[in-house]
Amino acid sequence: MRNGTDRLRALNAPQRVRVELDEQRRPRVVKREAGNEKRVESFGENWRMDDEWWRQPIVRRYVEVVLEGGGRVVLFEDLITGEWFVQMPT
Amino acid sequence: MTRTPRLTSDTAACCWIPLFALRCETARRPELASLPLALLAPDDTRRLWQVAPLARRAGVKPGMTVSQAIGLCPALKLCEPDPVHYDEQFARLVAALVTVSPVVEPVELGRAYVGTDGLEWLYGSPQQIAKEIQMLSAECGVRNAECKGKRREANDPSLKFRTPHSAFRIGWGRGKFVSWVAASRAKPGGSVIVRPGEERKFLASQRLAVLPLDPDTHRRLLQLGVKTLGALVALPEEAVVSQFGRAGRRLWRLAAGLVSEPVVGRVVPEPIVAALTFFTPVGNRDLLAHALDKLVDRALGDPRRSGWRVQVVRVHAELEHGASWLVAATLKDPAATRERIAAPLKTQLERSPPAGAVERLVVEFTAFAPGTAELQLFARDAGAAARAGRRRALQSAAREIALRIRRPMLYHVIEVQPWSRLPERRYALIDFEP
Repeated sequence: MRNGTDRLRALNAPQRVRVELDEQRRPRVVKREAGNEKRVESFGENWRMDDEWWRQPIVRRYVEVVLEGGGRVVLFEDLITGEWFVQMPT
Repeated sequence: MTRTPRLTSDTAACCWIPLFALRCETARRPELASLPLALLAPDDTRRLWQVAPLARRAGVKPGMTVSQAIGLCPALKLCEPDPVHYDEQFARLVAALVTVSPVVEPVELGRAYVGTDGLEWLYGSPQQIAKEIQMLSAECGVRNAECKGKRREANDPSLKFRTPHSAFRIGWGRGKFVSWVAASRAKPGGSVIVRPGEERKFLASQRLAVLPLDPDTHRRLLQLGVKTLGALVALPEEAVVSQFGRAGRRLWRLAAGLVSEPVVGRVVPEPIVAALTFFTPVGNRDLLAHALDKLVDRALGDPRRSGWRVQVVRVHAELEHGASWLVAATLKDPAATRERIAAPLKTQLERSPPAGAVERLVVEFTAFAPGTAELQLFARDAGAAARAGRRRALQSAAREIALRIRRPMLYHVIEVQPWSRLPERRYALIDFEP
């Protein structure tokens, strides 16, 4: 009895970005797929998250940054694939 | 939603598919049909619920524990129950029966009574009515191997029920009991007709087990040498009453063919459904209870519910690995508040939780009662009118936006897994359909 009531679209889905790292492996420049790139001006908290090890493991390294122009975002590195993503802070 | 009219019929056709759930499984997976198969009980997966004839021959019986059954039949194939699938299949069968008569009373999975008063003007004799039901069941797939009758439209949703053709039995008679006993005597795929006035003669030779007896009464009657309904009726009614009380009187009267309970049909309202598909399967009961609250809230917010209280609520879940879980609650006092509707569901969630992690959870309000006079005064008149006005304005705005942008751009934000450590799994957008 599937109907239209459960067509879900995730909010705050991570978007893939390209990241240049500094010598301490911290993001220095963030490039969105659209092409525009921004420098990281300051760092906030960073943390690691391991989840769903029993299913399809999720291992991420998060870092909260302020980009040039004042935008505050959360970047994370997928430690399994090595890809970087950006998300809005919660 | 309109008030339910009362539909009754004195003559009944009992349509019966024994071991319905098991047959649904073998219809879905034909390779199981040749195996000694047993279905686990939905509320206690350590015990057996339905047992296929092959396994029965090895001594396996319903209600046995799994270890007892395996001891008796090492080759026993155990199947996890999928109550949602069985329920859907049965709903399709009932929908097909409604096309024969508007008076249909489902009793349990695989058994429903069809009221046949007046159908003689459409179809003729009871045999022809039974034949029509058989033919319809053939068209909807119940007896598809023997289908020779007229075809219906392929897109009719009632025509998608699938179970082996030999399963369907029909009994016709005056009242539900006689028709049920007749169905229990019918051969697979056949029918037994008990004409008015012949009830007593027909019932006399039937075994005692056809009566709705508790095991203790059954045992006592057998000890008294009563093995058939005829033997029971041969005893004075008062003697049976003095031994078995009020229940004894009812049994005697049923056996004598003096009780004729009519079939009571009802108009099935369209259920109000709220569903949630989790991003990852959820096994934690607290989280499921939280999701249940949210879904009840969403279903209560449906405009069709306005002015009506909920009487019957069902929750079903799709579990990992294709299994399912189903609970239903009938509220003694129909309610329109989340707490009162969700409470019995949460109790059942605690008592017999799903056997695996839940991928999709669905709440359905399936029966309703009118609000009290005071509630209706506000909810159905003033409040409902205000809500309807707002909704009309929203509908008009949504239509205009859709026309301009050419795709749906309005969404509700809903909580999905607000407890999740992954931010993208906490909230989601769902299409806004005013």
